[in-house]
Amino acid sequence: MAKAFSAGRRGITGFLEPAERDLLRKLFSDIITMLEPATPAHEDPLAALIGLDMDVRVPTDPALLRLLPDALTGDADSALEFRQLTERSLRESKIGALRAASLGLDSEKLVLDSEGAKLWAMALNDVRLVLAERLAIRTAEDAERIHEVQDWGDADDVESYLSLVYNFVSWLQESLVQAMLVELQRTK
Amino acid sequence: MSVSTAPETDREASTRELISPDIPWELIVWNDPVNLMSYVSYVFQSYFGYSEAKAAKLMLQVHTEGKSAVAHGAKEKMEAHAVAMHGFGLWATVVKGGPRG
Repeated sequence: MAKAFSAGRRGITGFLEPAERDLLRKLFSDIITMLEPATPAHEDPLAALIGLDMDVRVPTDPALLRLLPDALTGDADSALEFRQLTERSLRESKIGALRAASLGLDSEKLVLDSEGAKLWAMALNDVRLVLAERLAIRTAEDAERIHEVQDWGDADDVESYLSLVYNFVSWLQESLVQAMLVELQRTK
Repeated sequence: MSVSTAPETDREASTRELISPDIPWELIVWNDPVNLMSYVSYVFQSYFGYSEAKAAKLMLQVHTEGKSAVAHGAKEKMEAHAVAMHGFGLWATVVKGGPRG
């Protein structure tokens, strides 16, 4: 069983079992696949430089839309224009965090500096957002219902299995963020 | 709507925009049932540099009222903040702020 993250003199440390590391590696990899742009980097060098992508459309997959939401509401044209300017770099920064977290899984003991911890927390958060969308968590009551699924012996269908995975990742992120908050206070 | 007073209002509005092109825009962060309260508080502290108390107040406002205006300023700056929030997985939108004070 994983140990909760703790903040110490060497940074934030955590411990994960091999099966937990395999699970997280798979989850990170699935989200990276979701986030990889469908079209290759724009061939216009200037467009590639500033990240402008005129082919970008609003995602049809609600989980992907949750990762890449609109920044402007009430005006679809402006929202799309903003998305064309920013979405590619947002996808890249998310993929960067997921890759960094995945690399950390090569050893069973995790030792994270504050930047590494931030990337880990972002990666775990994106995993939770996607799982929550698949589990149709829309309200606090939905979240509570999923939270009650705690026994791996009950993992007899996809929803209960995903619920258990969601709860594990939530526990891990909460433990990591608590350690990050301790460190944040210490460095202030 | 009153026809006689409408042009006066329009003129005032356009004058205000000429004098002050940087009418504050707002960054709104929206509630959702997924993001951990601790994580939202961490993002407000580490990204915006807010104190623990201010971050907690804004986080609770998001949680209980469904949203909170967490930053005000020029449109471009609020847009950059929105992208940063999306990087963290928080949902944020940029809106034109009303008169403040």
